[in-house]
Amino acid sequence: MERYLPSQGSYVNEGETMEKDITDYALDYARRKHIQYAEVRAHRTKNEQLVIKNGVLDAFLSTIDSGFCVRILTEGGLGFASTNKWTKDEAKAVVDTAYKFATMAKRKDKITFAEEKGVEAKWSVPQKKKIEDISPEQKIEELMEVDKRLSSQDGLNIPGRIIACSMTLTEKYFANSESSIISSFVPKIGPFAFITVVENGKPEQAYKQFGRSGGWEAFDEWKMAESLLHDARVLQKLIKEGKNVKPEKMDLVCGPEVTGIAAHESCGHPTEADRILGREMSQAGRSFIYQGGSYWLGTTIGSNLVTIVDDPTVENSYGYYEYDDEGIKARPRYLYKNGVINEFLHNRETAAKLGTRSNGSSRANSYSREAIVRMANTFLLPGDWTQEEIIEDVKYGIYMRSFTEWNIDDVRFNQRYVGREAYLIKDGELKHPIARPVIETTTQTWWSAVDAISKEIDYDAATCGKGDPMQGAPVYTGGPTIRLKEVYVR
Amino acid sequence: MSEVLTKTQEIVKEGMTLGADEVLAKTTFGRYRQTRFSNNQIDITVAWNDYVTDVTLAWKKRLVSTQVRDFQNTSSIVKRLFELAKVSKENPTYGGIAKGTFEYSKPTADESLRELETPSEYVLEAIEAAKKEAGEEVNAGGTLFTKYEDVYLVSSQGPIGQDERSAIELSIRAFSRIDASGHGVECCSSLKDFKPARAGEKAGRIAKLARNVKQGEEGKYDIIFDPLFFGSMLATWGSMASAFSVMIKLSVFVDKLGKKVGSDIVTLRDNPARYCVSNHVFDDEGFPTQENIFIDRGILKTYLHNTSTAKIFKTQTTGNAGLVQPAAWNIEMDPGDLSKDELFKEVKRGLYLTNTWYTRFQNYATGDFSTIPRDGIFLIENGEIKQSLKDLRLSDNVLRLLNQIKGISKERQHVHWWLEADPPSLSPYVLAEDIQMTRPK
Repeated sequence: MERYLPSQGSYVNEGETMEKDITDYALDYARRKHIQYAEVRAHRTKNEQLVIKNGVLDAFLSTIDSGFCVRILTEGGLGFASTNKWTKDEAKAVVDTAYKFATMAKRKDKITFAEEKGVEAKWSVPQKKKIEDISPEQKIEELMEVDKRLSSQDGLNIPGRIIACSMTLTEKYFANSESSIISSFVPKIGPFAFITVVENGKPEQAYKQFGRSGGWEAFDEWKMAESLLHDARVLQKLIKEGKNVKPEKMDLVCGPEVTGIAAHESCGHPTEADRILGREMSQAGRSFIYQGGSYWLGTTIGSNLVTIVDDPTVENSYGYYEYDDEGIKARPRYLYKNGVINEFLHNRETAAKLGTRSNGSSRANSYSREAIVRMANTFLLPGDWTQEEIIEDVKYGIYMRSFTEWNIDDVRFNQRYVGREAYLIKDGELKHPIARPVIETTTQTWWSAVDAISKEIDYDAATCGKGDPMQGAPVYTGGPTIRLKEVYVR
Repeated sequence: MSEVLTKTQEIVKEGMTLGADEVLAKTTFGRYRQTRFSNNQIDITVAWNDYVTDVTLAWKKRLVSTQVRDFQNTSSIVKRLFELAKVSKENPTYGGIAKGTFEYSKPTADESLRELETPSEYVLEAIEAAKKEAGEEVNAGGTLFTKYEDVYLVSSQGPIGQDERSAIELSIRAFSRIDASGHGVECCSSLKDFKPARAGEKAGRIAKLARNVKQGEEGKYDIIFDPLFFGSMLATWGSMASAFSVMIKLSVFVDKLGKKVGSDIVTLRDNPARYCVSNHVFDDEGFPTQENIFIDRGILKTYLHNTSTAKIFKTQTTGNAGLVQPAAWNIEMDPGDLSKDELFKEVKRGLYLTNTWYTRFQNYATGDFSTIPRDGIFLIENGEIKQSLKDLRLSDNVLRLLNQIKGISKERQHVHWWLEADPPSLSPYVLAEDIQMTRPK
């Protein structure tokens, strides 16, 4: 019995590892059938989760999950089956089920995969401070300390606090009938907090997510307590001093958090090729980009300052990977380039349908889930202004540093962002807080209004939702500070 | 006693032998199947089998959890869990898990869903029904999902139970034009009640009506909510009724027990009954599930509890554990006394909203939110559908919406759809007056 990545698997316990003889058996057995393509993908994930609610540790969860799936393409149909039972009998049953499902599809329009060569690779994300070397006591203490800092500030009342942290160590093994063999190891930390500040009997709330691929060192760098205390003080000030804005057209300066969510929602999602082709039509929806419609590759969607990239290779990012879950090498994807729709996110199936090659956008969050087209880290490229210059150049407008409520329609065109930390700008200076300013606009209006972009860029961790069953994917959203010229804000 | 129950019991014994104060083990052998389709063709059929035991152990008010897969390495896993408990931190608010021996209703899962391996015929039936309504040009997509779970629960505090849970769910969205769509769902716990054509017909009917769409206008409207749309609202409110949500202020119901939160005709229950896709005979502590009225004629009566949160709120568990987080199972809105058609006749000028998604809050404590209607949005005049509209967003407040409910239909539908209407619900057509709609500018 061979273990994968034994040098990296310091947390492996007897009998909980992935077993190569079982996955090899599954792939060999699949190859003996009448197939166009077969793959086996095994995951083994150690997950720890801590939940601290209003200052007490509610629970500490520690699990190890391992299993594998088989995906088969035959007769132009796809079948998929998975299990967490590591036996050859189960492997055989899984292959038989996937094969049967593939033959059942009986599609008129046969599925094919864009051509790829087999690849052998091993990759991993290094840790300066290994998560597995940090004791449970230290993990608890460091998170409890964040809560303690929040609850012990004079003059600041935060009666609702939840701080949760997930730490995962994921080994993957991928092999397919085209001779690809790829193994990987990715450690990740993903804390989040939700706080309610009450002042003069009025509540305001903030949610903050952190996330990174790498070791425990991220925890030191985030300075979670300071970040959350900043948010808490902003909310307190908002309750005390916040004023409504008179609804009208004005300049709107958006910080990286707001730029990032807009890039994710109104560029990343609508350029997912599976959505464009209708495969997600009944859940995540379709796209304003479709064949024969008003928008396609080459169509102008924004000002020529706007270039939005989705890049899985940003080091230590929450959405980092070197090879996707179909074994395709990751690379940056230029989705909107100089204001023009430039590239879609593809897996091998969508690439074949649109006559191109996969750009490595296929991801699955578990061995029990089909890999589908996903974003990784989506951000607007920086410009040549400083943030200060942008604000100084505004006569009358709003600076929206962060957002609270947001949503977008299922073709990713009609969207709304409500400011959380926001200020009036008058004659180039920040004034009083603005209470929940709202921009409700379209993708084209938003990106066309961009007339200034800062040099500085920042990222936020997020969990992107897509798939049925839902597969939350760790991503970065991000970008620089931008100015939208003369947009309607209420 | 079955072999699985015996093995589950052994895990509990091992934990107690090590010195734990309480141990609870729940083994689920789950068999799940899903067919995904789009553009009127099957994209993929997937199967996943899960053999898992959730183990929770409490020692000196320290609560820790893990999972055992296929009963492999149980001794070492339980030992590690106990070691984790010893270095964990006391939760002074932890109130234990349910004690006692309980009688459970007999599970009524449908055995035919255990072996159902070729469900694609149901998909094709639904697509054909949509085409019959809206024409051959219909483009339909969706999912067909089946589950069969064998569940065995053993608690050191007394409960021992066995449950079988089955479900079949179809979700179909039909497009008669690129900008004209309808959505239908069919959700059942047994195959005999499952009528896939019903969902297809509804999706096709709405998709046909939604043609020739015009830009909607901002303003306040009387609104008729379809059961699918309102299922999303019920799911949100059910989640807000969890004591956990209340404790972290992720709820508009904080400090509102005994107070009026909705109009007099609003009664909401949580009830994981046999018909529903989330049917349970016991909760995650082994406490028998029950019907809980949490809003009674507009008055908030209770939060949804596990044993621990119930102690904090000085009340009894409602059978909604989650060991960390109590949760709603299936929200039922009591029916009204008007038919759907009579409800439409009540509307002089208003909207009929058939579905929604992306419900997000500015502030859960105050209830300010917005949600984006999708699929058919229709202008109603004098009780009749007059025009298909687009690009509108409902931007209002939960308490205002609950209080503006003026009519509820006799007809109800069991709905569950993706994350947008989850947990499932038994949802009627609902008329609410004077609701704010906005649009992009």
